[in-house]
Amino acid sequence: MKRILSAIRGMAPILCMMMTAIMLTACGDQIDETPKAAETGELKTTAEMSEEAEGDLAKGSYTIGISQFAQHGSLDNCREGFIEGLRQAGIVEGENLIIDYQNAEADTGLANQIAGNFVASKVDLICAIATPSAQSAYNAALDTGVPTIFTAVTDPVAAELASEDRMPVGNVTGTSDKLPVEAQLAMIRELLPDAKTIGIIYTTSEVNSETTIAEYEAIVGEYGFELETVGISSIADVPVAADTLLAKVDCLNNLTDNTVVSALPTIIEKANEKGISVFGSEVEQVKIGCLASEGIEYYQLGIQTGLMAAKVLKGEAEASQMPYEIIEESSLYINGAVAEKLGIEISDEVSGRAAEFFTEIE
Amino acid sequence: MEIILGVLCQGMIYSIMALGVYITYKILDFPDMTADGTFPLGAAVSTMMLTQGVGSGWTFLTLLASFAAGAMAGMLTGLIHVKCKVRDLLAGIIMMTALYTVNLRICGKANVPLFSTETIFSNSTVDSIFERLLPSSLSKYESIIIIMVILILCKLLLDLYMKTKSGYLLRATGDNATLVTSLAKDKGLVKILGLSLANGLVALSGSMMAQYQRFFDITMGTGTVIIGLASVIMAANLLKNIPVIKNTTTIIIGAIIYRGVWAAVIVIGMDAKDMKFITAALLLIFLIISMERKKKVKMHA
Repeated sequence: MKRILSAIRGMAPILCMMMTAIMLTACGDQIDETPKAAETGELKTTAEMSEEAEGDLAKGSYTIGISQFAQHGSLDNCREGFIEGLRQAGIVEGENLIIDYQNAEADTGLANQIAGNFVASKVDLICAIATPSAQSAYNAALDTGVPTIFTAVTDPVAAELASEDRMPVGNVTGTSDKLPVEAQLAMIRELLPDAKTIGIIYTTSEVNSETTIAEYEAIVGEYGFELETVGISSIADVPVAADTLLAKVDCLNNLTDNTVVSALPTIIEKANEKGISVFGSEVEQVKIGCLASEGIEYYQLGIQTGLMAAKVLKGEAEASQMPYEIIEESSLYINGAVAEKLGIEISDEVSGRAAEFFTEIE
Repeated sequence: MEIILGVLCQGMIYSIMALGVYITYKILDFPDMTADGTFPLGAAVSTMMLTQGVGSGWTFLTLLASFAAGAMAGMLTGLIHVKCKVRDLLAGIIMMTALYTVNLRICGKANVPLFSTETIFSNSTVDSIFERLLPSSLSKYESIIIIMVILILCKLLLDLYMKTKSGYLLRATGDNATLVTSLAKDKGLVKILGLSLANGLVALSGSMMAQYQRFFDITMGTGTVIIGLASVIMAANLLKNIPVIKNTTTIIIGAIIYRGVWAAVIVIGMDAKDMKFITAALLLIFLIISMERKKKVKMHA
């Protein structure tokens, strides 16, 4: 025992270093987890599911692999929607479908490994959620005939998963979670007629945010706004970024940026102290305290993706022949409690248009 | 079979990085965090070159350019440590942090796909060579052959270097710095040289990884040091009783085994969420086992 103890003491410096390194790595990953992450706790693990499923599966059933890039409320909604979409098309988990679900925890190396394993175990289809997962799945499945269906990829063209005319570059297609920028701007103008400057915080490592900001920059003038942006590199930068921006803007607009979404409560609190409204990009954000959002519903996006996947699985269509899809219609979500707090009046016309009107902050 | 192929490919790419970590951690006794930044640096440099239209056989230039860029970053870490007298761990962290911006600047954005460009694994020169040499049924082994050739080159060059005067000095610096000073050599310079070499290798590995996975992502360097250390420690402890094989060889085997463990964890259906914990636990176990054994040897000696 003494010997072991002294051995442990001997390696203390190395351990310290390892711990530092591990902590640094861990910090890098944390940023992608949102408070919503807890929801997935209810989901069964892959092993459990396939164990249940394998017993009574009839022949002619499908195996699909789901590779999700990070654990995140919107992405989780996407996945659940996807499974629901398949179910609507008659492909039901446990009856004629085995799902192997893996989460890369925001690690591209792991995403590659997951995609490679899916291809090696000859799944019928890979569902890839978020850009890096989609790219690694497409790359792993290249020349193997395994179709890749992606979702939550904001710009499939920039990710080289599709060409300009929306047609796939290979055996890969899916849905984009491009934000309805114009609808959002129109909605902000309607709620805040006097606002001049919109502020956006984004993470420099998230390419989707940069794409969306470019889009905002292009048309923000048409609605009489100016745009102020602040880039951050980690969640620790959020408070400073929020303070800087809040001094200059009339309202904040929030994208689907993973890091910023994780720190949303901090931002909302700082903004509300100054009586500045924060707009969201998704229903989950409105629930936790954004004033309103004209956004897409990820669950719906998932269903749409699931229906596409079902067509490919049943052989009704080839992934390589299907253009990628986007959700054309946006849905309006308003949080009445936040409006009251900020003293903003919401006309009956606007609230009547809302898909959902929340009366409390979660 | 494909799983094994994938593990071998990725394992061999990472093993080049592990060779770099081996130089800093084992030989120089320098906990170098720069690797987390130089791995994506290599990827960024090659991505930039490939998207600018570097094609056919010239794609292999990306490897040299990445090595050069990595070596430069390593040199800077060395300079910060030796000349500015910043502690080793901090010097690496400073450089790693700075490289994040450098990488973003080089590529312009956080994620750049390489699907439509040529890479070292698929370009006109390589394709025509393989067409002549390999039957088409073996075409899926193209990547692994290219990786293997590069890896063996790196290993042999490194082995050769270690036998030169400069290589001996490098090894002496980690073991017994006083000796180096008494030979009237500047141990600071040797450290800088070692860091350059190590980070050059790490960047080279990053370049290959980006081209293998066909995209650059700013987050791809996260955890590089850990993977490298794990490989080095596994290699040192699993294979140290086999005297015939060289250290560099054990590192390569270690990196591949580590990758294999990773793949196995996913294949047997464990949650990818637990990956980091498993890595930490494995490392700790290997470290404890090796310490125990060292003590025993001393007792009997």
